[in-house]
Amino acid sequence: MNCQRLKDWFDERYDIAPLRKFARKKLVPSHRYDLWYYTGGIVLFLFVLQFITGMLLSFYYVPHAEHAHKSIIEIVTKLNMGWFFRSLHHWGAQLAIFTLFVHLFAVLLLKAYRKPRELLWFSGFILLGVSLFFGLSGYLLLWDERAFAAVKVATGGAGAFPLAGNFIKAFLRGGIDVTGETLTRFYAFHVAILPLATVFLMALHVFLVQIHGMSVPLSLKDAALPQEPFFPNTVYKDFTVWLVILGIVVTIAVLFPPEIGLKADPLAAPPEDIKPEWYFLFLFQTLKLFPGDILGLNGETIAVVLVAAGIFILFILPLLDKKSSREEKSPLFNLIGIVYLVYFLVMTIVGYFS
Amino acid sequence: MKRAAFLTLLIFFFNTVSLWGAEAKKAIEVFPSTPFYQYIIYETLAIFWIAIIGLIVIIRMKLREIERVQKLGLDAPVKENNEKQTGGDNAP
Repeated sequence: MNCQRLKDWFDERYDIAPLRKFARKKLVPSHRYDLWYYTGGIVLFLFVLQFITGMLLSFYYVPHAEHAHKSIIEIVTKLNMGWFFRSLHHWGAQLAIFTLFVHLFAVLLLKAYRKPRELLWFSGFILLGVSLFFGLSGYLLLWDERAFAAVKVATGGAGAFPLAGNFIKAFLRGGIDVTGETLTRFYAFHVAILPLATVFLMALHVFLVQIHGMSVPLSLKDAALPQEPFFPNTVYKDFTVWLVILGIVVTIAVLFPPEIGLKADPLAAPPEDIKPEWYFLFLFQTLKLFPGDILGLNGETIAVVLVAAGIFILFILPLLDKKSSREEKSPLFNLIGIVYLVYFLVMTIVGYFS
Repeated sequence: MKRAAFLTLLIFFFNTVSLWGAEAKKAIEVFPSTPFYQYIIYETLAIFWIAIIGLIVIIRMKLREIERVQKLGLDAPVKENNEKQTGGDNAP
């Protein structure tokens, strides 16, 4: 198809020559770790998929305590392909968060956060936090008994935070307890506030990647690495990976459609063996390790403070790792990265099977 | 005696069966239960994978061709020609 006239029409009005030049000149280094570059692209693709399926679901979802559960049952049982889009949204979210964690730990262990890419790390880290909140808020929208109990536990845990804990809990719940107000609030977060934050953070993240280019691991910085053009070589490779990911997520969505539990009843006893989604299991399991009372202090508060401190240290890691910023090897921070990864894996596995 | 035992067992059996039915009713169907629709879904999934593999093969072929042209160093003059045709970077 020849679109020359359309191209000419566009070129007459907008000068995109610098963009074309940039896309042509941008080079991506090839090395044995470049596989990890694709995790960022996969997250971007899955977020687009989440936006599309989420928009489709929002046409029929009713964000009200009385109707939310019923509207999801109707989406799944009555709408043509409704079960599929709901399943795709569910598994897309799981895979997006999984890939985000893989991306985070890859960046951490390859020291891709080092100077001058600190802002990339910060924006990505906040994006992970936003994504986790996406997961929590989306989970409650189901308004079944397990989601209800899990959100009650999660928001209750936030309440144990010293000083601001009660404010955070009340802000999240929209009141003292988890009620229909919480559902309305979480819906607002899920479809309006968090998507805006995500779009902004993603745009910033991608913009910073364009400014700094792809990071090269410290062990390879002196090697003469071959480079390939970003366009079209890397773009085509990204498309290939995205197609595979699309195939995987569609297959999982078809083979394992997520269950819908009984409608949430605020007055009923919570169901047994309540667990949060897998990406909160490491936090949940950590909180369970602490006794209720430590030296006269609230054990839960101490646990929450320690977890928050651990997350904060991880957040500011690029500022602490001075050696890496001088392009020197820093085995201590390799060890710290491995400890974080092992802790996350072990706690998630223990939480899942306990 | 035997008859009473048989009746008891029969009642127990039917009660249990009805309870199973009640349990089954509780679970919400999150996937079409009709074998016809299930067959269509699995068939579509298989076709979907064939299409994905086909697209990947096409992209790989295209990429290989691009890499071959790049190795030969033939892509640079082509770009320059394109720039001349479309105005390029130095367009007023």
